[in-house]
Amino acid sequence: MKQLKILFLVIITLLPLVLVSCYGTTQPTRGWSGTAFDDGIIYAGTRDGKVVAVNSSSQSILWSYIVTTTTSSGMSCGPTTAPTAIYTTPIVDGDLVYIGTYSGHVLALSMLARSQNLTFPQRGYGEWEWDCPIDNAKSNAIVADLLVSDDAIYVSSSNGRVYSLDKEFGDQNWESEVLDERHRKLWTSPVIQGDTLYVSTYDGHIHSLSSETGELSDWSFKSEVGFASSPVIYEDTIFLGSFDRYLYAVKIGSDELMWEFPQEKPAGNWFWASPIVDEGIVYAGCLDGKLYAIEAETGKKVWEFDAGDPIICSPVLMGNLLVIVNKSGTVYVFDLSAEIGDEAVPLKTISIGADVRNSFCAQEGLVYIRGEDNWVYVVDIDKGKVSWNFDLTKKEE
Amino acid sequence: MGPGDVWNLIIGNPILNVLIALSHILGGSFGLAIIALTIIVRLISWPLTKRQLKSSKALQDMQPKIQELQKKYGKNQQKLQQEMMKLYKEAGVNPLGCLWPMLIQLPIWIALYQAIMSALAATPESLLGLAHRLYSWDVVSQAIPLGSNFLGLDLGSSGNFILAIIVGGTMWIQQKMTQAPAVDPRQQSTSRIMLLMMPLMFGLLSLSFPAGLGLYWAVSNIIGIVTQYFVTGGWGYLKFRSPFQSTTAKGK
Repeated sequence: MKQLKILFLVIITLLPLVLVSCYGTTQPTRGWSGTAFDDGIIYAGTRDGKVVAVNSSSQSILWSYIVTTTTSSGMSCGPTTAPTAIYTTPIVDGDLVYIGTYSGHVLALSMLARSQNLTFPQRGYGEWEWDCPIDNAKSNAIVADLLVSDDAIYVSSSNGRVYSLDKEFGDQNWESEVLDERHRKLWTSPVIQGDTLYVSTYDGHIHSLSSETGELSDWSFKSEVGFASSPVIYEDTIFLGSFDRYLYAVKIGSDELMWEFPQEKPAGNWFWASPIVDEGIVYAGCLDGKLYAIEAETGKKVWEFDAGDPIICSPVLMGNLLVIVNKSGTVYVFDLSAEIGDEAVPLKTISIGADVRNSFCAQEGLVYIRGEDNWVYVVDIDKGKVSWNFDLTKKEE
Repeated sequence: MGPGDVWNLIIGNPILNVLIALSHILGGSFGLAIIALTIIVRLISWPLTKRQLKSSKALQDMQPKIQELQKKYGKNQQKLQQEMMKLYKEAGVNPLGCLWPMLIQLPIWIALYQAIMSALAATPESLLGLAHRLYSWDVVSQAIPLGSNFLGLDLGSSGNFILAIIVGGTMWIQQKMTQAPAVDPRQQSTSRIMLLMMPLMFGLLSLSFPAGLGLYWAVSNIIGIVTQYFVTGGWGYLKFRSPFQSTTAKGK
């Protein structure tokens, strides 16, 4: 009887735990790389660890490159080699495409070498790969978008440091000190103004660093709550979202908060995506599904729009048109030159029929969006519909 | 609304938010929050635990009678079972009574495991996923994201041997305190294996689960040992035999 009882206990206790262990220990990291468009080519990182270049004229894959990594996932599941997740949006600069990976690498891919499918890296073509040190942290994953300046690339790492790399050879110029000792992970991108980098952290700091040496400058800002989004600078003011459901404005050099939005009670959720600022107006998408237009100087609401679903990616400006995409893949276009009342009415509303949580780009009336289904959708704003779409998992022709 | 949403609404989200709120209240320490939550869970399940402990005590007191029955009906297992059930019935003891606290805690373990993984937001997806599971309490939003270090432990990582030994060891002590020694040699070896199996399995599970869950198990076991000691009035079947004593006995 007793043995049966204990056996029953063992089975009933362990079975679900073992199941949860196998299926639940490893949180899926699929990545949310966005799209870049340059010279008729769409670049995107996919959810299966590939960087893909698509010719928009022929609607075919020019080249793709897969990044893999070896991971061990719990006692019962064993180590596996799998494609690495890509969270950063490719950045095109000359003949090179820069990308950061969740496995802690920054890659400079040459379009020429990749289109010939040569072994990576081809130094002769200017290709390089940089391995981020783990540095006693849990991870060296690169989650935040890279910042590319004229001569350097700035990388935020999950080990808590910011790195500066030589753009041409991938050599490390400097590493900052650990900017967030408590969380380590720096999942927000730095922003540069003049020769100073500004970095927001989950422990509620905005740090300023010399872009030349990586040394901390005198000024930093401290909030009680962590910052959820990367900072954006407009006329010496930093705008960024916080985990207390407010959007903050901080004047560089000041210890005081300039304003927080909303002014009465917090928004319905986090301002996860970085806002954008144009002509004195801050446009901020919120995970509560609303897009807010706010006066940059005062923090007063100009108008708002309810997109129904969370807005995870930053808005994009294309001339007078402001484009946002919500999580369920509905594209809203606003004409900023027209009169907008308290409640904005979109000029166009177009659904791509796929979930979206990555950044997107827009050029010459077309919006390039990668869906969670690993397809690229090209939305024609004039026509108000998806012009064409393309499966990024398709084999190269 | 799918089963996962219902689970989150009823169990997952309350545990997650309470855990995060506790973490903020306890100076941003996620480890202290886990310990506090363990105490809360233990307090909630106290009526059941008390019943279980009383059952254990009653079983302990009945041991001489049980051993008598085992001697008497050792060769006739069916008869032995019948007589033992009769004895349990007469004494008003439910031998399966100790299962309930365990069963009650099972969904809490699973929810706690999920809460630890979600709250620590080890991946960008889980951090973003947190946004829609958090209550709009100030104590919650001010605590996010959580730090994962506690007394040198990374609560989100697995593979801590010391914690695994503590979990296994405390579980063994707790079990040993309630498990009566069998008279039948065959039963003796089975119960010895059973006594080792659970602590060993939980020790191994602590190695592969995030340390936060191991911390919960360890604290829960320690609370269990302490309450068992005071409710049943001693160490029960856990006998600390001195090696010196046994040598002397052999010498004689």
